[in-house]
Amino acid sequence: MVSPAIALAFLPLLLTLIIRYRYYFVLFYRAVLVRIWKDCVTGLSREERAFQYVLTNATPGDPDSILEAFDYWCSKVEFISNIGPKKGKILDRLLMEQSPLTVLELGAHCGYSTVRIARALPLGARLYSIEMDQRNAAIAEKIIRLAGFDDDTVELIVNPSDEVIPRLRSDYNLERLDFVFMDHWKKCYLPDLQLLEAYGLLGKGSMIVADNVLFPGAPKFLRYLRKCGLYEWKIHRATLEYSKGIRDGMAELVYQGIK
Amino acid sequence: QITPFCSQGDEDFRENREKENRGKRRNGERDKKKRENGRRKRSSKSVSEPETSEEDDNEEDGNNDGEVRPELLSPEELERLKEAVDEKKKLIQSLRGKPWPMKQKLVTLRESQQFVEKYEGALGKGKGRKLYAYKVMMTKKWMKFQRDFENFKTACIPWEMKIKEIESHFGSSVASYFIFLRWMYGINMILFGLTFGLVMVPEALMGRPYGSIPRKTVPRAEEASAMDFAVLWDSGGYAQYSVLFYGYYNNQRAIGWFKFRMPLSYFLVGVGTVAYSYMVVIRTMARNANESGIGDDNSFNFSWKTFTSWDYLIGNPETADNKFASITTSFKEAILEEQESRKDDNIHLTRFLRVLANFLVLCCLAGSGYLIYFVVRRSQKFALEGLENHTWWERNEVNMVMSLLGMFCPMLFDVISTLENYHPRVALQWQLGRIFALFLGNLYTFIIALMDAINLKRKEEKVVKYNITMWEASFYNGTGSENSTAPPITIHPADVPRGPCWETMVGQEFVRLIISDTMTTYITLLIGDFLRAVLVRFLNHCWCWDLEAGFPSYSEFDVSGNVLGLIFNQGMIWMGAFYAPCLPALNLLRLHVSMYLQCWAVMCCNVPQERVFKASGSNNFYMAMLLVILFLSTLPAIYTIVTIPPSFDCGPFSGKNRMFDVIQETLESDFPAWFSKVFSYASNPGLVLPFILLMVLAIYYLQSTSKSYKEANIELKKKLQMVTHNSENFVIFLLCSFDLILIAQKRILFTQDGICLILQY
Repeated sequence: MVSPAIALAFLPLLLTLIIRYRYYFVLFYRAVLVRIWKDCVTGLSREERAFQYVLTNATPGDPDSILEAFDYWCSKVEFISNIGPKKGKILDRLLMEQSPLTVLELGAHCGYSTVRIARALPLGARLYSIEMDQRNAAIAEKIIRLAGFDDDTVELIVNPSDEVIPRLRSDYNLERLDFVFMDHWKKCYLPDLQLLEAYGLLGKGSMIVADNVLFPGAPKFLRYLRKCGLYEWKIHRATLEYSKGIRDGMAELVYQGIK
Repeated sequence: QITPFCSQGDEDFRENREKENRGKRRNGERDKKKRENGRRKRSSKSVSEPETSEEDDNEEDGNNDGEVRPELLSPEELERLKEAVDEKKKLIQSLRGKPWPMKQKLVTLRESQQFVEKYEGALGKGKGRKLYAYKVMMTKKWMKFQRDFENFKTACIPWEMKIKEIESHFGSSVASYFIFLRWMYGINMILFGLTFGLVMVPEALMGRPYGSIPRKTVPRAEEASAMDFAVLWDSGGYAQYSVLFYGYYNNQRAIGWFKFRMPLSYFLVGVGTVAYSYMVVIRTMARNANESGIGDDNSFNFSWKTFTSWDYLIGNPETADNKFASITTSFKEAILEEQESRKDDNIHLTRFLRVLANFLVLCCLAGSGYLIYFVVRRSQKFALEGLENHTWWERNEVNMVMSLLGMFCPMLFDVISTLENYHPRVALQWQLGRIFALFLGNLYTFIIALMDAINLKRKEEKVVKYNITMWEASFYNGTGSENSTAPPITIHPADVPRGPCWETMVGQEFVRLIISDTMTTYITLLIGDFLRAVLVRFLNHCWCWDLEAGFPSYSEFDVSGNVLGLIFNQGMIWMGAFYAPCLPALNLLRLHVSMYLQCWAVMCCNVPQERVFKASGSNNFYMAMLLVILFLSTLPAIYTIVTIPPSFDCGPFSGKNRMFDVIQETLESDFPAWFSKVFSYASNPGLVLPFILLMVLAIYYLQSTSKSYKEANIELKKKLQMVTHNSENFVIFLLCSFDLILIAQKRILFTQDGICLILQY
């Protein structure tokens, strides 16, 4: 029906799209296609494969080597969306500046960011990590203990975050959270933030860091930030973890309190 | 001492009354003057008491005329008054440049204006006074009228508010596109006026009507489908046999009751449109050249960026944020550039990448040129087989392919240019140059293909001529009469066999090209901008990633692409206007619709650009491109006019050997004999060659003087820099010396304290 010449005329468009969005294609390949293939071939889930690798290649008790092993696996073998080395450095710097004593982490996944945060905590600080999925939580627990952090420093809570946050004050005796790290489902960022506010767990000067606000993006969360005026916020721009060309950002919020 | 002002206290009062009698003006002014007079009288009471009583008497009088006043003034006092008025006038003119606070300036202005008004009329002598005062009043009225007229003219500029609104949201570079569009609209309006008023209207009103001669009638074979919309859209049928195209025009030398020379007018309008366009473009270029080149120095780069980056016409918070971010980015880039220029590593890799990028671009250009050539050949094959056998897609292949390539290849060039790692402004110029080459290549391939079609038609002409003579012979043989006194049998014009008309074909091709280009632009706008914006806005709620910040997001307005599209569109108009007088009208309509559609689309669907460029530097660049396009697009038209003989059966030049023979004919028949002799002398090569030589010498001379001025300019700049350095050094020296003095003072105080302490002890 349509002549070949007209079809050929669309060739430049195709080439342009492929070249401009090549990083997204690569990401799709690594995060989706390779994962499905390996799932079919090995029968283990992605996190279990990562844990196998880390177990064989990292030094127990040394958080740095565990993180390095993770980074290597995620960039060369498969793709897991941990926070990654570049954004991890920003997180380390924020932690050093803030020196929080009570830290809440929403979404531990494999335990990479838990180990990262725990590594940068001051003495006497305590990290509460919430993870919804049972299998992931089991692996995260193993990794955290492998890194050498005991129950005093890191406590892993296996429940959805919207059930845990209302009970933080009553069950865990938390008065105020100095630092919150959000890395779970993007559509839960806003409800969880509002829960934290409603239950009075944030004080003036509490810092909240939310990952992946630009890709995949949390538009409602950002819109809420701009409108409510309760926070001093800024976005640290970087690239998506383990990927060079896709732009992403981490939002840093400092709670100001109601005026 | 009696000051001149005081002695004229009653004088100016009478003069006020005279002005009242003459011409009514602001009452407030008069009251003010009375008050001022009263004040002056009060201030001068001590000195001129006897006079005030006189003035009071004279107040009641009220009948005094001008005869008394000049005698009151002595010549020196008149002189002094004149000087004072002149001084006040000079003060008013130079008030803007004075470094005073605003309030002081306003007060001084008001006082000086009142003074000047009061005493100006007093300067004439005797009977000449009235005339002088009248002249002064008329001058003031004229200035006021001029001011009002300027305001009215500014209010009459079309679309000014729209463009200002766009400028406040998007910055000056996007607005410069719309200003360029408006300017083009003005040019097209003039071209439309010329073609419509001098070509289309005379033929329509005064020429032979439709259906009277063969060339003005739809042939019998096509009559059935002549009114179909599809045929009309393709500019066939009734549209083809109308004033819109070349073929309709009759070659009668003079038409109508006042003997309008139609062929001459057609030719001269064709030449005139080109000449007018050249004049306008070059004049605009010259005007822009005067205003450019400020602040492009390579020295004080960061100072220029710091103090001149902000765009004060921004009126929208989002744009302001964007502009802020873009200025920050440009600073970061400038710092990076400085760092990189210190260390240039791996220049071989950069060079290789640039060569590779250029090679890829050349491949793309060659590919697109070949594709168009292939498609045009195919369409000629289709035309030979008869166009009815093919689908709509196949019939419009050429236009579709040209429009699609024109849209998609620039995107590919943009992506390839990321390999090259140029500074963004340099990259933009390369991009524009490549798009320019693409459009030019496409256009010229199209024209070459058209030339083939023209040659084909001319061959056909010979065959048709032979056939027509055969047909006519057979017709007259059939009547059976040998004498030519027998009345000729009337044949309906639709039945007469027709000669091929390559000029109309060329005109039709251009009209089709313009229409398909327009449609492609509008459809791209609606889909690429509007539909995308609708999807992003309404699908964002239920999509896994943030559509606004991530993949599609809202589109930005592509200034350079749009400007180039506009320029090439105009080039096609210039090329085809000789063969299709309807083209300027079509373009006018298209620009009008474009203006409204694009203004709406920009405000509704686009976001301000992240990188904001200064528009002023590119202005002359676009004008230069327009000039090149004008030159290149008039070349084919001139070539066809000069070399190819016109069709024998259609158009205003049918029957002539060449189209420009009409000028010769006019000179011989319409002008007196000596005129043609003068003209033949003037077009003698012996005269033309020395004239050309003279022009070349003049150009060379002007070029060398301008070069020497430029060098003088550079020298002056260098001297200025040296002076500032010296003065900087002097200022630094002063500051250092102040420092030393302070330190010395501190030491003195310290020792003073010490002495006090010791003394205390």
